Amino acid sequence: MAITRQELLVGGAAIVAGASVTTPFFRPRYRIKRCPARSRVAILHVEDYSRPIDELLFSGLRLFCINVQGKTVLLKPNLVDYIPGTALNTHHQLVVAAAEAFRHLGARNVVVGEGPGHQRDTQLVLSDSGYEGELKLHKIPFVDLNRDELIQADFIVSMPKVKTHHWSGVTLSMKNMFGVVPGNKYGWPKNILHWSGIQHSILDVCATVPIHFVIADAVMAMEGNGPLNGSPRPLCTVVLADDPVAADATCARVMGFEPDRIAHIHEASHFLGNSSPALIDQAAEALRVPEVPFQVVPEFRHICAI
Amino acid sequence: MTLSSQTVLEPTAYSMMALGSDLWDEHTRPRRSLVRCQTPNGRWPAFIGDDEEGSWATALALIALRNYSENVPAQLKGFRWLLRSAGKESSLLWRWKFQTADRHARFDPNKFGWPWQPRTNSWVVPTAFAILALNQLSCTCDLEDSEQRIRRGIEMLLDRVCPGGGWNAGNGVVYGGALAPHPDDTAIALLALKNHSDEPVVPKSLEWLEGTATTLSAPWSLAWAVLALAAYSRNVRPLVGFLADLVGHIDIQDTATLAVVALALDFERSLILLAS
Repeated sequence: MAITRQELLVGGAAIVAGASVTTPFFRPRYRIKRCPARSRVAILHVEDYSRPIDELLFSGLRLFCINVQGKTVLLKPNLVDYIPGTALNTHHQLVVAAAEAFRHLGARNVVVGEGPGHQRDTQLVLSDSGYEGELKLHKIPFVDLNRDELIQADFIVSMPKVKTHHWSGVTLSMKNMFGVVPGNKYGWPKNILHWSGIQHSILDVCATVPIHFVIADAVMAMEGNGPLNGSPRPLCTVVLADDPVAADATCARVMGFEPDRIAHIHEASHFLGNSSPALIDQAAEALRVPEVPFQVVPEFRHICAI
Repeated sequence: MTLSSQTVLEPTAYSMMALGSDLWDEHTRPRRSLVRCQTPNGRWPAFIGDDEEGSWATALALIALRNYSENVPAQLKGFRWLLRSAGKESSLLWRWKFQTADRHARFDPNKFGWPWQPRTNSWVVPTAFAILALNQLSCTCDLEDSEQRIRRGIEMLLDRVCPGGGWNAGNGVVYGGALAPHPDDTAIALLALKNHSDEPVVPKSLEWLEGTATTLSAPWSLAWAVLALAAYSRNVRPLVGFLADLVGHIDIQDTATLAVVALALDFERSLILLAS
């Protein structure tokens, strides 16, 4: 079979683009500058997902100057699929606790929205992962971002599950925003975001859709072959932050990684937020780096701090 | 969930299939808007107002327009675009990459199907819908590549099956880890493989789907399971009863789900349109 000139050009460009995911990172040009002078992060010790999580989370949020009075708050958890026995999705109790907390803080509406990246049947993910009953019980509306239209949100809260990811190293608050991209155009999974360079796509999405706050679920995190087939790893931690880059850098450190070795976190620290500890005010618990870093696939061993 | 006011191809196509060609008044408008949003090159966008690159919904539009003879020119243009569309792994350089440098996902790139959107890999659902659409072509259409593309698509589905039967979104194994099958993806793949029931993965996948269907609590997946199992002449009456009961208790506001449920509740007629 002959190679056409177009195939040669396209294939060559694609190989270069593919290599950029794991080797050198070609810096894109972004015109926005969203880094705050200082960022605030709170690390909460949360033993498990039982009811006191409401009070812990509310106390944690009060460490920040959050003004959601009269606003519509979108909570964006990480709901990918349902696989029994895995720490795959942001736990529904944490999402319900967040919704209640933002209501207490004066939010006019609190909506949960997600466009699962792997499973087309959003209702199945909701019911099997325990969301459906809890959201109904607490009268929290849900929007399927793969198929529905979202009403305008004033305050976006990214609520990732803290996991390793075999294509991007980690999936935290910034990677979590892939869920706002509609599946009915981009498919399941949203493959174009991978083909375009996953690290660049994370930056593009986050440069377009601002994250106002982060509540990261690391009570039971995931290591190894994430984001689907990894192993649960308890960290008993919830990370709160008013800056997604600071949140992800902190989560990476809690996982035993060096955030500047994770391409999208490093690049985002130039224009979306702060990753340097010198620019992050740490509240609540102290940051504890684990003796043994999270397991990762071989291509990402270089991100381990030890 | 909330209702969308945007005209999206997927729910429009399912709704047209569910309403059937004997309800002219009800679906004349969606049919017109469906034909109108086809691009000059024959492809359909995912929703009205989207770019003109074309999408996986082209196959769904073709299935929905099946019984409308006055739309044959539009359909032929659509079929031609569908035959030109292929997963990115179909190109020689990418095949070479997946065979040598990138072996994390277990699949044979020589066996390719259709992507969700141009310039991406083949995935199970768009491939299955493309096969179902192309199966409707009559031999007088003079589209020479269709048989070869259908064959390649079938090979792709057989290659991507999960180790225990059934299909996930794409590959069955990634980084050495087996992925669990999805009920809806499995059902749609089985509909596309209806004429290949002698392939060992088909009865294995049917068995998995039949076992799983009774546990499903979501109407979308259950409806697809009913359609696939009925296509293989399994007794789906109890599942249909369960589905009817389920939708009686749930307020379905998602049009695509509602239409697929309607198709499943009337599965005998639906299968003539979908998988004959």
